[in-house]
Amino acid sequence: MSILSVKDLEASYEKFTVFQDLNLAVKKGKITTIIGPNGCGKSTVLKTMGRILKQKQGKVYLQGKDLQTIPTKQIAKQLALLSQNPIAPGQLKVEELITYGRYPHRNNVNKLTAKDKEVLEWAMEITKVTGFRDRELGNLSGGQRQKVWLAMALAQETDILLLDEPTTYLDMAHQLEVLQIVEQLNKDQKCTIVMVLHDINHAARFSHEIVAMKEGTIIRVGPPLEIMTAEVLQQVFQIQARVMIDPYNGVPVCFGYESIGQDEHQAVGQII
Amino acid sequence: MHRDSWQRYLLMMTVLVCLMMVAIYLSLTNGTFDLSMADIIRTLLRIHPVKEYDLVIFDFRLPRIAIAGLVGLGLGVAGAVIQGVTRNPLADSGVLGINAGAGAAMVIFMLVVQGQLNGTGWLAIMMAPIFGLAGGLGAAILIYLFSWKNGTLDTERLLLTGIAIGSGFSALALYVSLKMKASDFEMAAVWVSGSIYNANWSYILSMLPWLLVLIPIIYKKTYLLDLFQLEDESAKSLGISIEKEKSILLLCAIGLVASCVSVSGSIGFVGLIAPQMAKRLVGIKHRQVVPLCGVMGMFLVIVSDFIAKTVVAPAELPVGIIISIIGVPYFLYLLVKVKA
Repeated sequence: MSILSVKDLEASYEKFTVFQDLNLAVKKGKITTIIGPNGCGKSTVLKTMGRILKQKQGKVYLQGKDLQTIPTKQIAKQLALLSQNPIAPGQLKVEELITYGRYPHRNNVNKLTAKDKEVLEWAMEITKVTGFRDRELGNLSGGQRQKVWLAMALAQETDILLLDEPTTYLDMAHQLEVLQIVEQLNKDQKCTIVMVLHDINHAARFSHEIVAMKEGTIIRVGPPLEIMTAEVLQQVFQIQARVMIDPYNGVPVCFGYESIGQDEHQAVGQII
Repeated sequence: MHRDSWQRYLLMMTVLVCLMMVAIYLSLTNGTFDLSMADIIRTLLRIHPVKEYDLVIFDFRLPRIAIAGLVGLGLGVAGAVIQGVTRNPLADSGVLGINAGAGAAMVIFMLVVQGQLNGTGWLAIMMAPIFGLAGGLGAAILIYLFSWKNGTLDTERLLLTGIAIGSGFSALALYVSLKMKASDFEMAAVWVSGSIYNANWSYILSMLPWLLVLIPIIYKKTYLLDLFQLEDESAKSLGISIEKEKSILLLCAIGLVASCVSVSGSIGFVGLIAPQMAKRLVGIKHRQVVPLCGVMGMFLVIVSDFIAKTVVAPAELPVGIIISIIGVPYFLYLLVKVKA
């Protein structure tokens, strides 16, 4: 049984249908990454899975149970979602925001239990934000802030973590840092992770499974080696990609690409 | 860290309560004829009561201060809730059109019902708040229904429809009041601009239950107001049924405003500036902001009412005008600051 799956899912904004009859099963304990061009519906899939967006048709199953029949607070104990542009007041302190993550577990919001405190310390340690726990969010850099938000999601202590473009707006080093935290969580806590990424090289490096989407349809699902091919990338992104295997870690890497039609004659030796 | 913030909160609370006591003292002692502190204490404790003092204190000054305080309390708390739920620091009950709805209902009430009851009957006095409440709730329900979009409560839509429906009700109130007799029209005009000069104990009785029920509900949910400051996706992900909780909080705020407006007329700006000032004093935790807003509102209205009745004595200004005189510059200052 899949830990999180969608069946015949249909979602829409107003009259615009984003996708129809979408089926996907997320594997337990794995990192799954959804890739695809802008507007293909990848974030919408994630939001529907995380009950942020209500589907028009179809079902989302969490541990085999219809998501709509589970109280939202119960869901929040099993599944956390970090949205693409999270917003909080600039005067809020780092630790206060992370404490919000304990909300689904707390009976009395005016008093933290020993367990709450323990989880908060753990979440801050793993994301390396302990050093600035007393600072206000408004005074943090983008990279620091993203780690704080990640810590808030971790404080929810869930088996499943959904991340909507967690590396957007971050520099290379911070992108890597965030994804390495995610990788560590998956390894140590057996946390199931579903994320949306734009960087296909990051997707290839950090995922067990990649879901390639285009115009509301899933084109292909498989391990990085199957998805990171010139053929699939052409189909999904309309690009001619040059892909090789990184000898350092055996991960497929797209090291250059051209748009189709334009510089076709210049693109020599497409696949190495 | 936490202890600091509570110490600051308690300090601010104490300072505000003391200031309010001073305002109450001034309001009790000053007027058409001045009373001393000793007179007031003797009268309150029933030591050698003097009939004239009884009349002045129990029938005129005390109910007026009590109403000013209760109205300020209600509007302040409601303002904090409305700004918290809409995540808009410039929102208040006036912007939401609730005041206008209650106002229109009251004007209609004055025209239709009070004329028949001669305006002085006990029934008419008890009926007035209920009418105002019905108008406020009616406006609120209309605004509320128009703000739903695709099964979610759209807070930006809430503000826009609020302004539109508010203008509609104001126009209605004006149209109705033009059909009144001159004397009634004057009364309606004074009432619409916010006045508590005809305060009496039955008004207090009619609004008190609303405050006693709604404010504790709001206080219990102050933590949610903190969480609502995150954007909706994050709040939903934390397991909050935001549509339900926002509806409960908004309806509580609407109930508070409607019961206040039905007694005092449309006193604007309290709901806007009280939360602004409170947040400046104690930060952003609603568990501290909401009570401080209540006390701030009380203080503002009691002081403004004192100014309203003394500055051009023996004539009186509607208290709403005094608050506007304080409120408008502050509002403009906020607008400039938000832009910058």
